[in-house]
Amino acid sequence: MNRWKKQKPAVKQFSKRPNLAGEGFGGRTRYYFSRALINIRQNVFVNVVTIGTIALALLIVSLFLLVFVNLENAAQSWSEKVQVTVYFDRELSGQEQTAFRGKVLALPGASKVNYVSRDEALKRFRERLRGQETLLDGVRPEILPTSLEISLKKANRDSKEVEKFVVSLKQIQGITEVQYGEEWVRRFNTFLNFMRLLGALLGSFLVVAVIFIVSNTIKLTIYARRDELEVMSLVGATRFFIKAPFLIEGILQGGGGALLSLALLFGMYESFLHNAGNFLTFNPATTGLSFLPAEYLGILLLAGILLGFLGSLTSLKRFINV
Amino acid sequence: MIQLHNVSLFYQKDAPALHNINLRVDKGEFIFLTGPSGAGKTTLLRLLYGALTPERGQVLIDGQNISRLTKSQIPYLRRSMGVVFQDFKLLPNRTVFENVAITLEVLGWGRPDIGKKVMHILKQMGMESKISHTPQALSGGEQQRVALARALVNEPKILLADEPTGNLDDANKNQIMNIFKEANVRGTTVVVATHDRRLIDNGNKRLVTLSKGDIVEQVEKAETCSQAI
Repeated sequence: MNRWKKQKPAVKQFSKRPNLAGEGFGGRTRYYFSRALINIRQNVFVNVVTIGTIALALLIVSLFLLVFVNLENAAQSWSEKVQVTVYFDRELSGQEQTAFRGKVLALPGASKVNYVSRDEALKRFRERLRGQETLLDGVRPEILPTSLEISLKKANRDSKEVEKFVVSLKQIQGITEVQYGEEWVRRFNTFLNFMRLLGALLGSFLVVAVIFIVSNTIKLTIYARRDELEVMSLVGATRFFIKAPFLIEGILQGGGGALLSLALLFGMYESFLHNAGNFLTFNPATTGLSFLPAEYLGILLLAGILLGFLGSLTSLKRFINV
Repeated sequence: MIQLHNVSLFYQKDAPALHNINLRVDKGEFIFLTGPSGAGKTTLLRLLYGALTPERGQVLIDGQNISRLTKSQIPYLRRSMGVVFQDFKLLPNRTVFENVAITLEVLGWGRPDIGKKVMHILKQMGMESKISHTPQALSGGEQQRVALARALVNEPKILLADEPTGNLDDANKNQIMNIFKEANVRGTTVVVATHDRRLIDNGNKRLVTLSKGDIVEQVEKAETCSQAI
């Protein structure tokens, strides 16, 4: 009759569990994983909806990233055109060239120096006037100046840095005439900053929208299964025991959604985006859009997993009232 | 086993859901809580399994004041109880077996042990032929027997039932009543909230009548009660 006698007092006995199989860290973890997988199987529709939502949401973000990364690349190749040119009205000897080259490269910010002789200058001029070469008939190389074309390091390509560089360049003896397309550099920098700001703004709106949509979808799917949460808590499941399979499910949904979105993105890229390059970069030299670099793909996958996990965590908080 | 001392609880300020309730249920006892809708039967049961805490007074389960338990201790309290409801609260997408096994999974039992124990209790309930059915494929009486199996599989010290026969016909009511009695004979303290006269008469147990949050009558045997009312 009194099978409870040996289990007194009540307080301690509440927290005692029979020591049976399925106990221990390994056993529990296995249980949580198998429970999560069974849940997915038993709630196929809900899971398909969640994974689909996460996949579409991340696809939008990754498409945005793809465009943004390519625009940034285009801007990078454009900024290589930020050059400082030093003009001379005579041909430099090999020795002089080496001397100037050494002095210029010693300045902070210079990355490359290229000497353009009179012949070379005339050749370029001719190329620019292709089709109207006759205009240049009778023009001799002597009327053109020679020059040193100086490319700048990435960090020194904005307008202030360029001006600083020009000031120190003019202090080198023998250098008097310097051109660097001030207006163009300034405009290009303004455009670049505007583009980055716009990108950051759009990107953050997009991310907020995605978080909102995904977390609400997960909330609805968990709401649909609140009976399960209630029953679990009625039979004495701890909060963690109730949550763990749902969180694993969330992680699997997030990871699955992210992988699906990357697959879709890759499919879209392979089928038509890769040759939309000329349109986007305005640069005939590039062959097309490049795909997202590996670290971005990793970040997107992680973002999916995190979305699934955090979405489930916050929704569960609302529905478990143990 | 269960003691309530001057327990009061308010859902709204001016109307107490329970008012100064004093009740003592001994170990191995079987009582009925009755009274009209809104009398506080369900609220009282919810207090007992820790879903609500009283604003005043104490609720002692097995000597433990449960309003002092932290949220994380409540699950351990519930492991010593079984609870059944009028709407059964079975999980629709799990089989009968899985529905009953939940109780033991929560306790960390291994699969082979769970299998044996669940089969044993389902046999007692006469449900062994339907282990792989889902609840939708069962009649009301069968569903309640599965819910009872889930509540009793862990041999709880206390069984709480909230209108357990509200959705059932007479034959099923008798069957469910017999299960309560058997559990009680094995030593489980049983508290059944119901306004089902037939169940109370059939039960022939102590009867506590609630009305508007107060205990208005306590009668030792249901038989005498039917005469008293």
